[in-house]
Amino acid sequence: MDQQALKELLYKMADDQLIMGHRNSEWTGFGPLLEEDIAFSSMAQDKIGHSLAMYNMLQELGEQDPDTVAFTRNANQFHNCQLTELPNGEYDFSLIRHFLFDTAEAIRFEMLTQSSYEPLAQVAAKIRGELRYHTMHAQTWIKQLGSATEESISRLQKSLEYALPFSLGIFERSPFEDKLIADRIFEGEAALEKKWKAKVEELIGQTQLRLPSWESLTPVVGGREGKHTEHLQPLLDEMSEVFKIDPTAEW
Amino acid sequence: MTLFTSMNSLDPRVNRLPIDKVANSSPKAALDQFGTFEVFVQAKEGKPFQHEGIVHAPNIEMAYVLAKETFTRRFTCISIYVTDTRSVHVSAMTEGTNNAYENINDSGASEPKTSYEIYHLLKRGKQHIHVGSVTAGSPDEAMWRAKASLAGEKQVFNIWAIRTDDIRFTTTEDKDLWLTLPEKKFRDASDYKGGDKLKAFLESVNK
Repeated sequence: MDQQALKELLYKMADDQLIMGHRNSEWTGFGPLLEEDIAFSSMAQDKIGHSLAMYNMLQELGEQDPDTVAFTRNANQFHNCQLTELPNGEYDFSLIRHFLFDTAEAIRFEMLTQSSYEPLAQVAAKIRGELRYHTMHAQTWIKQLGSATEESISRLQKSLEYALPFSLGIFERSPFEDKLIADRIFEGEAALEKKWKAKVEELIGQTQLRLPSWESLTPVVGGREGKHTEHLQPLLDEMSEVFKIDPTAEW
Repeated sequence: MTLFTSMNSLDPRVNRLPIDKVANSSPKAALDQFGTFEVFVQAKEGKPFQHEGIVHAPNIEMAYVLAKETFTRRFTCISIYVTDTRSVHVSAMTEGTNNAYENINDSGASEPKTSYEIYHLLKRGKQHIHVGSVTAGSPDEAMWRAKASLAGEKQVFNIWAIRTDDIRFTTTEDKDLWLTLPEKKFRDASDYKGGDKLKAFLESVNK
């Protein structure tokens, strides 16, 4: 098994989850209604839990401990896709991003239940229920708001068009695709992207939203190799503020 | 929204909120709220469903999604269901030693028959608990039939009847939703052990 390939895969998944979880947690206390605030915050907490599971695996493989990895790297050392670091903006964008990201996340982990790397397959099986809730939450909202009022439809449409090129960056190819596939660690980003597109088409098709043709979109890539927007570093500074004052703090 | 206009918070998230600087006053906005849905939770296999409260939601499917986190993000549970508040039919509330079933009379049978779920309030201030189902042509008839088959010995303060078809149940596939819940002890306030933390802090300060 190619350790370098495995680590690259784990890092990008963990960083996606950590950054997405932290970003979504910024809604805590500001959600559009109490029930939604609670649900969105719980899912953000789940995401950070998922990233911890990945960082723990990385530690087993010889990397530094999860806190050090999460709180002491600079933006150019993070491998999350740029979609996850974009500011929350209005709730319509956060919901669309949640929908696009978690649809991919659920399919990715469904695929990973078959991984030859046993610890990863076990985590994938374990978090199945959480991801089921995350996609159920996202899809139910999109279905509701995607056909509700003129305002909800046009706002989601605008956010969808803005988020789509970034969402294609989720599937930025790794230099290790062939190795991961050959070692049966992961079926690869191309296979995931294909399944994701079919699912997004199916779900958007149940709303009054319009999906642009995939060919008309230019994927925003670079995140996997440490190229990020100006929004990531401020997020990291804020996230690591307490750790940097007192690395031993517990709360 | 005028409340926030001059807020300069220590929380960076507050300062990021897209709030325009506005004048001293603005017209009062119309009340804009979703309807309510009743949430029932089953803690363990074999235990009856118990009413836990309400959620606001635009439809029953959203109510189910929001109920899951609002009512089952902490203590273990294996299933929930929701129904529109307007689907709950309520008997008269009783006082003292009067049983709610004493007020239930034969209102006549009607067709077509359908299934109703029946709930009892056995203690004032507690929740309604599912006791069984009956087949009836109307909520009134359901209460009358419940009097014959479900009334029991205990004093019942209040009775609810909900048409089974008006309930959004947990499907077999949805059971996965609570798979990792027993491990999320950190969501339970008692797991935080605030007292211990305070004690340790005070000891470290007083050294």
